[in-house]
Amino acid sequence: MNDLDDDQLREMLERLRRFALWLTREASSADDLVQATVERALTHRGQQREDGSLRAWLFSILYRQFIDGKRRERRHARWLAWFGRGEEAGNATEDIVLAESGLAAFARLPTEQRALLLLISVEGLSYKEAAQALQVPIGTVMSRLSRARTALRELAEGNTPPPALRRLK
Amino acid sequence: MSPLIPSEEELHAYVDERLDSERRRAVERYLAANPEQAARVEGWRIDARHLRAASSGLAGRAPNPRLDPAAIRRELRRKRQRRWVNAAVLLVTLGIGGVGGWQVRESSLLASNPPMADAVQAHRLFAGASALDLSARDPARLQAWLGEHFKHVGNLPDFSVYGFTPVGARLLSNEQGPAALLVFEDAQGQRVSLFLRSPGERYGRMPSGERIDGQLQARYWSQGDYNYALISAASDSRGATLRNALGVAL
Repeated sequence: MNDLDDDQLREMLERLRRFALWLTREASSADDLVQATVERALTHRGQQREDGSLRAWLFSILYRQFIDGKRRERRHARWLAWFGRGEEAGNATEDIVLAESGLAAFARLPTEQRALLLLISVEGLSYKEAAQALQVPIGTVMSRLSRARTALRELAEGNTPPPALRRLK
Repeated sequence: MSPLIPSEEELHAYVDERLDSERRRAVERYLAANPEQAARVEGWRIDARHLRAASSGLAGRAPNPRLDPAAIRRELRRKRQRRWVNAAVLLVTLGIGGVGGWQVRESSLLASNPPMADAVQAHRLFAGASALDLSARDPARLQAWLGEHFKHVGNLPDFSVYGFTPVGARLLSNEQGPAALLVFEDAQGQRVSLFLRSPGERYGRMPSGERIDGQLQARYWSQGDYNYALISAASDSRGATLRNALGVAL
């Protein structure tokens, strides 16, 4: 077990918050996600691989928690629908950040592509670290990166109509 | 990998500045000669730059004190302690409930199944009646009959010393197994019974004891292979003497 010291974590905190905010697009759920990530990092520090980088490990915990949370939300929404409540929640908090940034096209990318672009272009992770963080093979990182950049370009240039059912604020 | 045409992967690595200087120069030469590809790559660069610019706008937020690792460690410790306390409380509660419940069960079993209740019942039903399997005034015949049905029983004491003579016996059975009721009578017609059976599952071996059940008194004990009970009228003081004599003889 390698000991995780608080300063190392503290240094990563703002980056984790930023990544979480891009994923959740909502400040308070982003911080909830970061809190859950730090808790897990502190209680499962033995799981960090010796050869892996700390930041890749932390991003991987955060991403995994986010995906699991999404899955729970979908299940919850299905239950609501089952009981006749419908999907009234929708994406009410969507795009606060993105509307400000003028990067609406980025919001239309699938989560996995957004996460990858953020890790590579913003956080400066190596391809290998990104593969660790997203828990996919490095080949997948390369092909996904190519797809993501192509898609983002097309959306930004307005070449492609947005997918019909995606609702944007 | 061709030195002339870089792969798609290399183009991305070029944008992300992951190429060594030699390959980077090669890609630069290639892009200079291929404006269409250069435009693609430039587009990726622009997007990445936008993304970084937007992200740096997020950097100035106030730190959230609850996210500090020290605070989270404290919170985790508190949660752990609470879990321990809860577990301890649960254990104690279960313990109290379990022990208490078991004792209630024991005592209610005892209340609904007092030891040798079947002996008292048998005496009530048969000691007064003439419906005995065996009529035997002769102690030797009674002893022989008893030996036939209960192989390991000892010798009956001489009841005549205490003023009782045999009336007869009846073979019984209940859910506990076979049992026998031996009936004796004194000169005034006052009857006592000796009841015996193999230990049942509920009272394998029982401690010696006595209790009063209505007009009757039962004195019971385990001895040898059997459980015994002597049933007499509650007012009959000879019961205790007989019980002692049986304890010695059987």
